[in-house]
Amino acid sequence: MRKEEMFDTPKKKVSLDVTNLENFVYDMSRCIKCKGCYWVEHTYMPGINFSVRCPSNLWNDFDAYGAFGKMRIGIAIQEGRLKWTDKLLEIIYADPLCGACDVGCKRNLDLEIELTLEALRIKAVKDGVGPMPAHKKIAKNIETKHNQFGAVHENRKKWISKDINVAEKADVLYFVGCSSSYVNQGIAKSTAKILNAAGTDFMLMGDEWCCGNTLYSVGMIDEAREIAKRNIEAVKASGAKTLLVSCAECYRMWKVDYPKMLNIATADLGFEVIHLIEFADKAIANNSLKPKKSVDVRFTYHDACSVSRLCDPWTPWEGERGWMGTVSPRLKRRRGQQGLYFQARNILNAIPGAKFVEMPRTRENALCCGAGRGTKEAFPELAQFSAKQRIDEVKYVSAEVLVSACPWCKTNFTQAIKENGDGIKVMDISEFILSSLEI
Amino acid sequence: MSIKKEAYNALESVVGSKYLTDDPAICEGYRSGPGGYESGLGYERVMTKIPGAVILPKTTEEVQRIVKICNRYKVPYVPYSTGFYGPRSHCHVENELLVDLKRLNHFEIDEKHFYVVVGSGVIYSPIQQEAMNKGAYVVIGGGGAQASAIANLIGDGWSPLSHRIGLPHRRILGTELVLPDGELVKMGSLAVGDDPFWGDGIGPDLRGLLRGYTGLRGCLGIVTKMAIKTLPFQPEPLVPTGLSPNTGLKLPEKRVKWINYQLPNKEAQVKAMYEIGKAEIAGAVTKVPLFWRAIAKAECKEEFWELWGKESEETIKNFFIVRVLLIGYTSEEQMKYDENVLNDIMKELGGIPRPTKPTDESWIKNADSAGMWLMCGSYVSVDYVIETLSQATVHGEYYAELKKKYTPPLMPDYGDPGWFQSFELGHQGYSEFLIYWDQDEDTTGVDHFYLETSKMNIRERFYTSLLGPHQPLYLTGPKYGPNYHEWLLKIKDEFDPLWVCHPPVPLAHDEFVERAEWMKPLKDWETPKKFPMPQ
Repeated sequence: MRKEEMFDTPKKKVSLDVTNLENFVYDMSRCIKCKGCYWVEHTYMPGINFSVRCPSNLWNDFDAYGAFGKMRIGIAIQEGRLKWTDKLLEIIYADPLCGACDVGCKRNLDLEIELTLEALRIKAVKDGVGPMPAHKKIAKNIETKHNQFGAVHENRKKWISKDINVAEKADVLYFVGCSSSYVNQGIAKSTAKILNAAGTDFMLMGDEWCCGNTLYSVGMIDEAREIAKRNIEAVKASGAKTLLVSCAECYRMWKVDYPKMLNIATADLGFEVIHLIEFADKAIANNSLKPKKSVDVRFTYHDACSVSRLCDPWTPWEGERGWMGTVSPRLKRRRGQQGLYFQARNILNAIPGAKFVEMPRTRENALCCGAGRGTKEAFPELAQFSAKQRIDEVKYVSAEVLVSACPWCKTNFTQAIKENGDGIKVMDISEFILSSLEI
Repeated sequence: MSIKKEAYNALESVVGSKYLTDDPAICEGYRSGPGGYESGLGYERVMTKIPGAVILPKTTEEVQRIVKICNRYKVPYVPYSTGFYGPRSHCHVENELLVDLKRLNHFEIDEKHFYVVVGSGVIYSPIQQEAMNKGAYVVIGGGGAQASAIANLIGDGWSPLSHRIGLPHRRILGTELVLPDGELVKMGSLAVGDDPFWGDGIGPDLRGLLRGYTGLRGCLGIVTKMAIKTLPFQPEPLVPTGLSPNTGLKLPEKRVKWINYQLPNKEAQVKAMYEIGKAEIAGAVTKVPLFWRAIAKAECKEEFWELWGKESEETIKNFFIVRVLLIGYTSEEQMKYDENVLNDIMKELGGIPRPTKPTDESWIKNADSAGMWLMCGSYVSVDYVIETLSQATVHGEYYAELKKKYTPPLMPDYGDPGWFQSFELGHQGYSEFLIYWDQDEDTTGVDHFYLETSKMNIRERFYTSLLGPHQPLYLTGPKYGPNYHEWLLKIKDEFDPLWVCHPPVPLAHDEFVERAEWMKPLKDWETPKKFPMPQ
């Protein structure tokens, strides 16, 4: 715009710092209730069924549970017009922060919905009302046992079997995460065997602690930041060049939320962060990993949120907002475009014998399983509800196996299927890949 | 704030405690602004309230019972389907009940007889997909992909596809309306049976009262069901492509194709639209504002302003695009024939085809994308005119001239005369004028502009949509009628004697002018000392 044609709009300092809700007042105040955050994007809209992508607002129909309601509520909180109550806490926390609303909004309005929702939780904690009691228990577990579940810390590496080779020193460090260390050990084993099969040496952390996902996700940013510092130091001390994870939530933490909390760019972590999906995609492409064994199933793939719309790398940004809400310097918005959508599908399409069918809601439009980011612990009924909605979709495409890339999805889907008696098998992508390897 | 306890208890017995609340946080989620259609304006600030309670009925019967309770306890209520239409679809008075209709999501499709039946919570894009799955299509238009089909069809409902599909009221085959007192009325052929084959009912029909030009914004009851005509499309799938935000429907080019033509002047542009209509070809014929192209090209808001800043009054003045959607409804041969005819028309008029993407991003499953808000943060389509093609274009130019006085706070757009297009194969021309601003600026000028457009329409005798509840009734009524306002108020009194249904519509804009000090200098029309509605 030519300078002489612009009005004299006062400039306002703004940043992406989630510890200050004020940074997101613009975003909250520009929500137009178009509900692009709620519905599947129109080009991919499959029809009357499976038309929604917001698990929270599907679970509870009042507008308050959708991002458009939360934006209005957020302004009221920031302006001190709304007092914290149990119901308000439910609205803020009954939400897997899956990012569906964020990518939906960024197709049209480019508002920072996900960061606003995170900032609301940080404010709840700062105001002394958050997180939910179930989250506090997890925080205690992490503080005392360094894992989500309160399991014995010394048992963290018990998943390692004799047929797995772990190097003392390697360029690749496999960060296993709490779920795969204790609950979904098949994922850890499969990941290790895939690395072995591809001839890639890997090491483990000497003393692995929780990534802090739940802490950050529920607004306990101070505690989460301390863990981030500790874990990053541990990787640097190990000399690893690549940190590999098999958990979507760990992936997002390392790649996005650690840099966010420390106000650095993902590129400045000092090492590369990859998910097994990225590793396997490259390994299959360069022939170091050869899925040759026929896997005779009809299967579908669930895009776990943290390896899809939530994992664009982080770059700190601060600047000014002025004319018509434009910002300077130019902000490269995170729109979920760097999700591992195609890498995962490259792998799945390379599995011999297996028939891959897509569900109506895929990639950035996928419906979250409902378990992530503290939801299953505090609102198990929401997690079950969302998982069942997704399982209906699995049944709709007549898939026998549901594959995902996150242990939290696996646990949640498995439980929902068990309760429903649906007879669908849930597998992690690591387990699915392993089933096609001749080892 | 809340509604009367006795009323609340009675309502709870209708839907259960799960679907009724007066919790302040949940009610806050139903606030009109500060963002949204017309939001951030004086009307939104002065006239909207947070609901006293929110209720989520599932069936027409539940809606009837709710409305009867509201009448019994004199609880004002407002119907709300998807909430997109800004302040007008939100509560206007204290202790009001917001009836959120999203759970009325009934859907059926009749492939053989080409219609769908939908509830108030059903939105456009799934309907279009279901229709296309059966070789049909429909246009709901107006608020777009994510807005309620019913709300759109009793309000706006037009899009470029209206070139062939036609005006919205012609597509309404049957309507189920809960009157403001809870009585159920079925319109169209639904009045005599369950078969929604024809839009007109027996004898006098209430459809005109409900819809008229652009509807009554929820002050004459709640529409719970509607049968909508679909029309034959073509059989090839439109395949979704790309990753958000860069998504589109890949078009089967032998059956569906957009082509943009650059015409040498305005006369040729309008003539092209006429000729295309006369030849009875194409599925859409439109001229969109130039800034929409900048929105489509820009990767972000900041880039939009870089691109838009390169334009000038000169480039706008010489922007004579005609965008044509060809559809091979019956065959590839028909499509070829249409394209040949189109090329002949364009050749004669000096039209030059421009590179056009083989995808559709905006119209077939969407319409009026929320991207409208990207540039400035605040937007409204301030007026719509349905006229002859040649007159429709004049209207936009008048608006552009008036707008200059109010820029700023309105966005500098170098005199762009807005959007115009062909409706019903050129039998009607449609003009829509869009304005944009930043709601953080002083918006007094936007409020003034809005009102001044009404005076301009009266002065210039434009046949405008800004009548009835859209502007002060005592300003427009005497000029379009001359007793249009009295008639409308009698209708309201007759059907809603207690004025419990979305008060004070249709006098909401009159109230606004009375309450907003900054509007008073513009008030040069007569109003009664006390507005004729129950207090």
